Amino acid sequence: MRRQTAALILALSAASAAPPTAEAHHSFAMYDQTRTVTLKGAIKTFLWSNPHVVIWLEGAPITGGAPSVWTIELTSPGNLTRIGWSRTSLKPGDAVEMQILPLRDGQQGGAFKAAKLLATGQVLEANWVQQSQTGAHP
Amino acid sequence: MTLRRPLIALCLSLWTTAGFASEPGQAVNPAPTPKDWAAIAALPDWSGVWVPDVVDQFRKVNTNAPPWNSKAAQEASALTAAEQAGHPKGLFVDCLPDGLPALMLIAHNPLEFVFSPGRVLVLGESDGDRQRRIYTDGRGHPADPDPTFYGHSIGHWEGDTLVVDTVGVLPETYVAVSESVGVANNGDLHVVERLHLTAPDTLTDDLTITAPHELTAPWKTSRIFYRHRERQYEIGEGVCLQGKFAESVDSHGDAVFIPLQYAADGSPLPPKP
Repeated sequence: MRRQTAALILALSAASAAPPTAEAHHSFAMYDQTRTVTLKGAIKTFLWSNPHVVIWLEGAPITGGAPSVWTIELTSPGNLTRIGWSRTSLKPGDAVEMQILPLRDGQQGGAFKAAKLLATGQVLEANWVQQSQTGAHP
Repeated sequence: MTLRRPLIALCLSLWTTAGFASEPGQAVNPAPTPKDWAAIAALPDWSGVWVPDVVDQFRKVNTNAPPWNSKAAQEASALTAAEQAGHPKGLFVDCLPDGLPALMLIAHNPLEFVFSPGRVLVLGESDGDRQRRIYTDGRGHPADPDPTFYGHSIGHWEGDTLVVDTVGVLPETYVAVSESVGVANNGDLHVVERLHLTAPDTLTDDLTITAPHELTAPWKTSRIFYRHRERQYEIGEGVCLQGKFAESVDSHGDAVFIPLQYAADGSPLPPKP
């Protein structure tokens, strides 16, 4: 039961991230929930905008591959602000290792899962659904 | 020229006085009295920001699905299959508002309630500064309301429960169970909500959704929202269309929005500096 809940939360986290498409408010279903890809590279652009924040990362999977631009989307600025993000959480040029749930179709995009800023070791996560689930009150 | 201006002013004056401002019987909203404001203070405290329990939204759908009619069931089933196959149809991909009842059923962003004499405002964010206006001044529904995304809502208090009755919703709004599974209500939608605290920081919305063209019976379901008082939880601006643009500077040195460009697979391309 706990595993089911964890899986649902993971799926919803992906949903909140939305896929890298031109459209807002997507389901999570185009992401491969069973796989995590770790990318290493540098932030090209961090678009802090409704309804979904977008990261363009110039890099490649740590398992190998030619560098290219990856499109990674997250939830809305409001939901990210509530878990401690800001529009300056990432900056162009920041070197990162980033975990994403990749698109099923193999395109270079995915849903944000976590990122480590290599300069500081700071880890950013975006699991706002789990937080809403706890009903964390002050 | 000098003659024309007084003539225009005279015409406007006649048009205003004869046609609109002093029309007998036209309803007006009286200025609130100190007693009206005092009545607000006696209402339950719904201040703060109310975050939807998103996991519970899915739990409720899995245990109490809408009573779709056969046509709607087929559509919902096809959408579910597409979602499970990894090719979901996005119901809200056009940046139009969620509308009712989807906002209360499946939204991922929080709500805020503002009590004022004669009305309750429900504010939100993300897909375009969500805004519901619930009249609590005793009025009824218009005989033929202009259809809107959130409809025409009237409310009254039964103890600490706000009872909201909504009609006049656009037929295109979805009876949605997720962001990719839902069926247009197709008209004559009627939503009754009973909003009340079920714990000091838990708000429950008990909904009865009547959609006679899609449901075989009224769908009774509920949704849960948790209160947060931290300032970082406050509702922010949510202009959905902004996501289709990047910020740039034009040839005059003026700040401008430029449309994002997209790759063949639909992925947005990074904006050019």
